[in-house]
Amino acid sequence: MQKYRCSICGFVYDEARGIPDRDVAPGTLWADIAEDFACPICRAAKRMFQPVQDSQTLWQPTQATQPAQPAESTQVTQPAQPAESISAKPESTTLPNHRELSAAEISAVFSNLAKGCEKQRKLAEMDAFNQLADYFWQKAKDESDANLSDIQSLLDTDISSGLPTARTAAEAEADRGALRSLVWSEKVSLVMKSLLDLYAADGEAMLRDTKVFVCEICGYIHIGNSAPELCPVCKVPSFKITEVERS
Amino acid sequence: MPAFRNIRLCGKDCLCLYVCPTGATDTENSIIDVDKCIECMACVKACISGAISMIPNKYPTQQAKAEDVVAAQFLLASNKLKQQQLADAVTNSTESDIEKQFAQAIARSCRLMAEDVLREAGYLLPQSQQARKLLEAVQQEASEDFPHQAVELLLSNL
Repeated sequence: MQKYRCSICGFVYDEARGIPDRDVAPGTLWADIAEDFACPICRAAKRMFQPVQDSQTLWQPTQATQPAQPAESTQVTQPAQPAESISAKPESTTLPNHRELSAAEISAVFSNLAKGCEKQRKLAEMDAFNQLADYFWQKAKDESDANLSDIQSLLDTDISSGLPTARTAAEAEADRGALRSLVWSEKVSLVMKSLLDLYAADGEAMLRDTKVFVCEICGYIHIGNSAPELCPVCKVPSFKITEVERS
Repeated sequence: MPAFRNIRLCGKDCLCLYVCPTGATDTENSIIDVDKCIECMACVKACISGAISMIPNKYPTQQAKAEDVVAAQFLLASNKLKQQQLADAVTNSTESDIEKQFAQAIARSCRLMAEDVLREAGYLLPQSQQARKLLEAVQQEASEDFPHQAVELLLSNL
């Protein structure tokens, strides 16, 4: 019996166990699984699965009887770097030139700093950063028409060049913080791409009888009747995975 | 460094109330009163749920970021923000409530990725030099509706 891992979210299909919840009986071989099979966690297509080479099982679905396994060993987690490590250089003074940042970029930097203030319980500062983020987002507003396929083509650029380029740079500098953000963004982007592909093929039927959730930490989009117990990308518990309601 | 109670972990065993010498932990909304807290850590040590921790006042200088890392992170984030804008446009223009819901999820997801990627481009900590420089740079904004007070508050408090 072989195991196959979803290259997007890490879900493992174990031929020995099947997926009884989805009427896949224990002992069902991967080859016998329908071609339109979708990952029960992230809906990735069957072709996105790869055989598990080692005996180590990295992650199990939360609806299985086993508890979730620890995060995969190769995943870069948030570094707890020493305050004054030897490699710590003083903060750079050359980067970036703030005059050249777009209003949208400034907005996103500020809304994230607002979250940093919230975590430090500095609520007046959080409000101030959010006010600035809103101001710059209004400035960045683009009134032009768009459809989902426009998003798809930009997303393809991220997957084919933006993410790999950033990853190469972060690896060369051994920048674990940047690598961590890129590992998450890559997974979230791939899940988003497979959902957009599905939507393009099946249309609204894909979402008609189900709910939509977004992980507040990493942005992972989950389609299902309830939020997963743990985010398959960043492993945050379900209380930080919120539903996007239908109006 | 005031004490902070994580309400999600609090088991309401109330040992923090017994040990607090100033009554800072005894509040109707479960948020420890930072004005009364004398930072003695008695509540942190007494809590059997591990629900109370001390919020630091000072943070170390941030790790330097390499120029090419910053550039690549910004490029990626910028593309994510364009996708957020497109998703916002779909949200506002579509007639379908399902497509609207999907576009809203995409917009939120793109925003979160952009924020996270920018955070790792040298904007992790609100108190950092990089954040201060950005605040000083945007202070030049002349537009009438620019929230100058917000910038002033941040520059003086952080």
